[in-house]
This record gives sequence, C-alpha cells and structure tokens, in this order.
Amino acid sequence: MAGFLAFAAAGASADDYQLGHGLDLGPLNIAGYSDLVARFPSKQQKSIDLDDLSLFVTGHFNRLFNPFVEAELTNLSLVRWGGVADHDRGDGDFLLERLYNDSYLTDSTTLRLGKMLSPVGEWNEIHAAPLVLSAVRPAVTFRNFSEYTTGASVRFADPYSQVPDFQLYFQPTGEFSERPRDITVHRYRSVAGAHVSLPLGLLDKFGVSFQQSKDRLGVDQTLFGGDFHYTLGKLTLQGEATYSDISNNGIRTARDIEWGLYSALSYAVTDNWSIYGWYEGFADRTSPSTAHDVLFGIAYRPQPAMVLRLEYLQNIGGRPVNPTGLTASWAVLF
Amino acid sequence: MARPLLGIAMLALLLFSGAAQAEGLLIIANPNLIVATPVPLSQIAAIYLLRVTSWPDGSHIVPVNREAGSRAREEFTRRVLQEDNAGLAIYWNEMHFQGKMPPLVQESEEAMIAFIRNVPGSIGYINGSAPRLDVKVIAYVP
Repeated sequence: MAGFLAFAAAGASADDYQLGHGLDLGPLNIAGYSDLVARFPSKQQKSIDLDDLSLFVTGHFNRLFNPFVEAELTNLSLVRWGGVADHDRGDGDFLLERLYNDSYLTDSTTLRLGKMLSPVGEWNEIHAAPLVLSAVRPAVTFRNFSEYTTGASVRFADPYSQVPDFQLYFQPTGEFSERPRDITVHRYRSVAGAHVSLPLGLLDKFGVSFQQSKDRLGVDQTLFGGDFHYTLGKLTLQGEATYSDISNNGIRTARDIEWGLYSALSYAVTDNWSIYGWYEGFADRTSPSTAHDVLFGIAYRPQPAMVLRLEYLQNIGGRPVNPTGLTASWAVLF
Repeated sequence: MARPLLGIAMLALLLFSGAAQAEGLLIIANPNLIVATPVPLSQIAAIYLLRVTSWPDGSHIVPVNREAGSRAREEFTRRVLQEDNAGLAIYWNEMHFQGKMPPLVQESEEAMIAFIRNVPGSIGYINGSAPRLDVKVIAYVP
C-alpha cells in the first residue's frame, strides 16, 4: 500500500496523461483507442461508423496480481446513406473484450487466467486500429478461428530473446461475455492451441500457430498457421496464412478445407507518411469460391499514437469477404 | 549505514575515473532496491523492452524514460537499448495494448530523480555529470 501511495503521489506530480500512454494512477494505467471509419463500398450502403471506442485498464501490483480489463463500444453507424441497408451492422454493441490476470511465475513464464485474445498470427493480438497496417482487416486475421480464449494460458518469453517465445492456451467451455451474432462469424465452445514466435528483431518475428476448436454447432476445426513481420530499412513485409481442416459432423458447409493468406508491403516515405498494399486470398468454409482481394493505401501518422488512412480495396475474384470500395479512417490511441 | 557509504564509494569511483568525466549515463534505481551491482546493460535493456518485469525480490519494476528529444533519452536509446525511436514507439504501443505498461516519462532530471527516490521498484537514468546520493546507482554507461 505504501508503494501504491508513493507511486500515485510521484506520478501525479509529473505528466498524468500522455496521448498514447494513457493516464497513470499509481500502479494502474487507463488508456484506450478510437477508430472512426468512413466506408464507400461500390455496391452497398455508404456509412460513417464508430468502429471502436475502447477503454482498457492495466494494473501492475506484484508478481501474482496484474489484472487487465478492456471494454469497448463497437459497430456503431453514425451516418448511413445510399445502397441497400445491411441490417446486421450499425446498431452498436458494448463488449467486454478482455478480462484477465497475469501472474509472473518466473522472469520468463506468465500464467494468464480469464478472457484473452487468442495468439493466432500477429494481427489478432494487436488488432487495435492505430497499431495495425490497414483500416480494412484481412479476413484471415480473424474470420476463421477463435479470436478469444476464456480459460488459461501459459506464456514463455525469454528475457533476452535467445530462444523462441511460446504460448499454450485452453478454453474448456464457451466464451465469457460472448459477442453478439451480428459481429461474429463463428461462436466457439472449446478451444486449445499453441503459438511459437521467433523474435528476429524489436518488431520482426516469424511465428507458427496451431488451434483445435469446436464451435457451438459441433463443427471441429484443426488450424495450422504462420505469420511473419520483417523490416528492411524503410520497407516492411508482413503476412499471415492459415489452413484449417473442418470436420462437419453433419453440418453443411461448402468445403472441408478452409484456408487464407495475406501478404503485405509497406514503405515509409517519410517519418509521418507511408504507403502500403496487400493481397489476400481467402477460401471460406461457407463459400465454394475463393475470394481474392488487393488493397492499396496511404497513411499519415502525425505522431505514433494517431493515424489517418485512405485506402482502396478491389475484389479480383470469388465472392468478396471485404467489399470493393474506398475506406478512410482516423484512429487514435489515447 | 553501510548502504549510503557504499553509494558514496561507488559515486566517487565513477566521478574520479576517466569514464565519468566523459559525460556518461548513470542508471539509477530506488534507494531501497536490493540488487547486485552493476546490473548488466543487457538486463537493463530487457527491463525497458518489458521482457523483465520483476526485481529479484519479486517487486514490480517501474521503468522511467526521459522525454523524447532529450539528450539523456537519445543517449540511453542509442547506447543501452540500441534501437531507433520510431521502432520503440511502435513496440511500446503494441506492448501497452497487450497489457504491459511502457516506461513512464519524466520531463526533467530533477523530476526523474524525485520519482526514482520516491517510488519503490523504479529505475531510470541521468547524465553522468549529475550523480546523486539519494538514489541507487546500479550501472554506468561510459
């Protein structure tokens, strides 16, 4: 308690709030992010949406008690016009994204209990709009696996990055505070998996993922995945791929093998401006055709915690997962 | 009684060595911290990269940075972390979103010293020309 009070008193005398860092209150930090998105799909309704208004609180007390909670308002259309209304979008949902406690068993081993993001690829774990490459999210980074795990995970991370990081996780039954149907594709009952990541630099890494899951309809899924992030001067390469075997158990799906991959290039033109593009191929279990999309965009970061983006996605084959059209966004980590 | 004397001896050693006269960085920690010194720079880098979060006694580490653009921050980033500022900003934002608190920022040497002196588990840095007796010097970067 003395430490808490000293920390709070000392912290209060300095900058209490910094954009991107949040508000420090002793061992607690309160931060969040927002993402305002204008969508102009070529054949659908146009909209200006508050995609996310998220608040997260991080606590660091001792080795065993380090709670984290994130709640958000998502999927709220502010303005809609033209085209055919999509009644599945836009009414706004309040979600409990994450709620867990970290216990540092050793310097390298952490036990996490609660609701957390599943470590499949890189994008899912850092999915906040100000942190990721583009406003439009490739389908392979979220659509075909359980994004969340409610249960336990053990993470090993060597302090000196001499050996790969790895994480094992397990959800015995159901997602705590399950997300509503209008913003999720599959709802998972049991989940177990592993992720291994080989650090190649501060941000660079190569990872592999495995996830075994059963959804609420009884469909079993075994997923294998890979992800990479590599920097070459001003050029950054990144991508993710997954391959899933679907055991239908009597449930009708269009295919038994679901796969996807995206590969992206970005180039830092200046410290503030960058251009980027990606290609995605995605074979969804519900569609017999494989979607092929390309995206090009430009981003302006007046500071690391804020980004404005303008990008265009073109579907070049298959039934689209992300619609063809223009997207503009303003994302802030606050 | 032994701890202040040890601190004075260490500072004297630093001040009268050729290295200290070359304006190095003193890595400082809360005076109540019990840790073997000097702490390796690789461990200090691991602390600031949030890969080490607890001191040997189990207490939580509170890393503190100077403000971006300050000479001490530039020196520390280049010589201890050996990374570039843009990459670190992205990295710390990503870590923050994953539940690890990035280093706090103190915008003057006086504020840094006051914070380190008052907050258990804290670690920071100051230019080598201004050693203080009221914080624990745990490493020196020539």
